[in-house]
Amino acid sequence: MSDIFKKNEDRAKKGIKESWKETHSGISTTMILYIGIRNLKISKTRSILTIGGVALGIGIITFLLCMGFGIQKLIVNEVTKNNPRNVIDVSNGNLDNFVSLNDEFSGKIKAIDGVESMGRRVNAGGKVTVGEFQTDVVIFGADENYLELSKISYRGEKGKYSDSENRAIISERLAKLLGYEDISLAIGQKINYSIVVTKDISSNISEERIAENNETEIVGVVEGENNAFIYVPFEIIKNNFSIDLAQSGKVLVGNMEKFDNVKQQLDQLGFVTESINDLIKDIDSFFNTMRVALVVFGVIIMSISVMGMLNTLSVSLLQRTREVGILKALGSKRADIFKMFILESVIISFIGGVLGFLGGYGFSFLVNEILIVLGRKQNVSLSFFVYLPAYFIMAISGFIIFLGLATGFMPAFRAAKIHALEALRYE
Amino acid sequence: MEQVADETSINEKEISEDLLKGGDKLKGSLKYLANDSKIVRVKGVQKKFQLGATTVHILKGVDVDIERGEFVMLMGPSGCGKSTLLHIIYGLEPPTEGNIFIENESIWDHSKNWRAFFRNQYIGFIPQQAFWLKSLTVVENVAISGFIGGRGYRESVERAYKTLEVVDMEKWAHYRPFDLSGGQQQKVAFARSLLLNPKFIIADEPTGNLDQKSGVQLMDLIKQFNEKFGITVLMVTHNPDQVKYATRVVKMVDGLIVNNTSEQKEIESIKGDV
Repeated sequence: MSDIFKKNEDRAKKGIKESWKETHSGISTTMILYIGIRNLKISKTRSILTIGGVALGIGIITFLLCMGFGIQKLIVNEVTKNNPRNVIDVSNGNLDNFVSLNDEFSGKIKAIDGVESMGRRVNAGGKVTVGEFQTDVVIFGADENYLELSKISYRGEKGKYSDSENRAIISERLAKLLGYEDISLAIGQKINYSIVVTKDISSNISEERIAENNETEIVGVVEGENNAFIYVPFEIIKNNFSIDLAQSGKVLVGNMEKFDNVKQQLDQLGFVTESINDLIKDIDSFFNTMRVALVVFGVIIMSISVMGMLNTLSVSLLQRTREVGILKALGSKRADIFKMFILESVIISFIGGVLGFLGGYGFSFLVNEILIVLGRKQNVSLSFFVYLPAYFIMAISGFIIFLGLATGFMPAFRAAKIHALEALRYE
Repeated sequence: MEQVADETSINEKEISEDLLKGGDKLKGSLKYLANDSKIVRVKGVQKKFQLGATTVHILKGVDVDIERGEFVMLMGPSGCGKSTLLHIIYGLEPPTEGNIFIENESIWDHSKNWRAFFRNQYIGFIPQQAFWLKSLTVVENVAISGFIGGRGYRESVERAYKTLEVVDMEKWAHYRPFDLSGGQQQKVAFARSLLLNPKFIIADEPTGNLDQKSGVQLMDLIKQFNEKFGITVLMVTHNPDQVKYATRVVKMVDGLIVNNTSEQKEIESIKGDV
């Protein structure tokens, strides 16, 4: 208080009103919080019910959004697992199309602003022979980039499959057809393949022909594939068999801001383009609609909680009218009384909000774990998917504070306006 | 009461020192005149209420001065305007006309917040019925004026505890106020009014709800502080037996002061009138 005395002395010359205004700091926020918490403690049942109402509302909203966001993320992750969002699938669409992914168009595509790299693939029929054994296969002539952009994973040493080496990656089905029950044993083996070269995939021939007995070394096996196929480098079959017309490709866009522009230019070149982005946009749109429905549902639930809070605060105000009276008589400012009631409301919404958020998140975690266990019994592999984006956590924190302030405003305003004498006479 | 004084003599000394310092904080901001013997001046105060189409004239022009250290009793029949005058002096209700000067400061020329701080720092208040914050303990309720004045919890509660010792209520410090009897509650209310070392105490029928014994105990206590520490007391009462505590009696009838005397004989005669 000595500071206040000095302040008063120093400012005496400035005028009484100013000096007194500056020194009347009112009840400290810490004390108001203390009184607010004590008030909640003294009406335990009412406080628990009110806080429980808020917690239930926030909990349900958190649970629904956790699951919603989580399922959306799960679907998007599954969809983009082998199809990154920044990759555009390019194809010549149909046989009548005048464009083809030959070296000329490949160069044009790479020159488009925003394109970081591209990979090509050609499909052809053929056979694989090992000793006396022979089987029909699909032969994919694909360059390194294509495999990488397609996210094709295989067992075998990475980096051995390259555009310039005569090496191959085969499917698990083919490995087993060739007699390798342990697919690892296929790696390093030599096989022969023949390929049917048609006019659709080669610009240099006049008639279909079969290029036979081409030896290659297996450097990888794609696991879990039920089709018999073989990947050989596009450059190798181009140089060896004049296969220069790739039917499809993948274009990697370095900068997502240029994604639409790249896609548009590919369309203009005459290619048919597809992107997982289109699907993801549809998924996002669906979940956004669902979220709006959830928000409406949440608003209804929160309205019930808010009514509970309003009821509690109004009853509290009626019961404490005389307290307001004595506080004012003893020198409390309107602002102190206002703060007292609004902070009590914020305390209720804060405790209820935090409990609801943790409860909702915990419950969605539990549901997720149950789904994982149930999925395992059905041989469905499910990962942990419950997810809440950081912005939602910020938004819900802001909402909790807003809820406290908005709900507490009217009772606090009414309390602050009560005349001290009327409050003291209140029965 | 002597027993209380004996038991609390050390604390009384501390409180006494504090009380003597009381008012220091006002010197910088009020036009504090130590030489001015008048602590309160009521000048031509009128109060009218509008009840529908009817104007009720509660106070019809009241002039009264209160000297420093006096024990003034405001008496009169119900509805004569005693409580209204008390509330106007305390800064809770504005006069329709006239003015109130406390320590030469025209309190109704200042803002609401100024008056709130003034009440908190300068005037002790004992209402007819003690009002409490039911979530707080006795000692915290006594400390409430400290909290309102912006003081910290520890400082206010320590001070409140000492004040409770002075009125011999410290052993009830951690009870809830409503667990106490009416007389005990009024003693605590008196302790609350003393917390910030007021120079002036306003009491609105403080013994109105008490039995005779509790009433006498409380009056003795107030009188003791009035005499020992020179705290000026303005009290509204209906009880004629209490005029013996007064150094001045102001009698009101129908919104006007009809008698204002410090003569003991006249005081006795007023006692007979009421």
